[in-house]
Amino acid sequence: MRVEFINPFVSATHNVFKTMLGCTLVRGPLSLKSEHTPMHEVSGLIGLSGRCRGMVVVSVSRLTAICAAEVMLGSRPEEVNGDVLDAMGELTNMIAGAAKNQLEEYRLTIGLPTVICGKGQTIAFPSQSAPMVIPFDSDIGSVCVQVGIVESPTG
Amino acid sequence: MTAKVLVVDDSATMRKIIIRSLNSVGYTDIVEAGDGSEGLLAFQQHAFGLVMTDWNMPNKSGIDLTSDIRATGSSVPIFMVTTEGDKGHVLQAIKAGITDYLVKPFTADALREKLVKFAVV
Repeated sequence: MRVEFINPFVSATHNVFKTMLGCTLVRGPLSLKSEHTPMHEVSGLIGLSGRCRGMVVVSVSRLTAICAAEVMLGSRPEEVNGDVLDAMGELTNMIAGAAKNQLEEYRLTIGLPTVICGKGQTIAFPSQSAPMVIPFDSDIGSVCVQVGIVESPTG
Repeated sequence: MTAKVLVVDDSATMRKIIIRSLNSVGYTDIVEAGDGSEGLLAFQQHAFGLVMTDWNMPNKSGIDLTSDIRATGSSVPIFMVTTEGDKGHVLQAIKAGITDYLVKPFTADALREKLVKFAVV
């Protein structure tokens, strides 16, 4: 995966969490992921298409998802419910969208977000995409963004 | 504010965020829609003073909803609230007839500023 794809997702995640949640993120070391399982239990997924195709996964713990939803909704959900999953979907949507805007030359289109919850899930990234893992720490818990992008055969 | 506002977004979370900002500047008569098709149906059933719509939604997009509203001859203010921030999308939205554009993520203050600027009684 091209290095130039990474920074837009790093800056987008910082910006979205700061703007929507008032939360400052501290990035950890990047790594390549060999297993296609989310790092945490609640994950927002968005597909990318255009001159490149790929997948973005934003993964947080149940507690972090609840904390994020509390800020966005104005009240604290008692559990990971439909409202929490919707909030995660919207955060994922904004991260993918903000990164996409920094990658204009690739004319990316983002799909509608999907959110999954539970342990042991497997996510199918595009083959040959070599997903990059971008970990963050914050006051509301760990956030992990996984990005796997390859250039489309037709360019 | 007495104007009725239509808020169209497939994310219930985003609708709540927008509605809180609307409430904070005095808009209390608000109708929600979960996609562009529901939004168009609501638009046909009520007299709105303001429409706020997302772009990417199932069934009918916000850009198509905007075009459909303008095709009725309505000049109601339409705000596009979306992640689509590149020049091409902004131009497309302007051509379709939007009044203003707000790129996600946004602060509550940024949204309130735009609402105050286009205050509709």
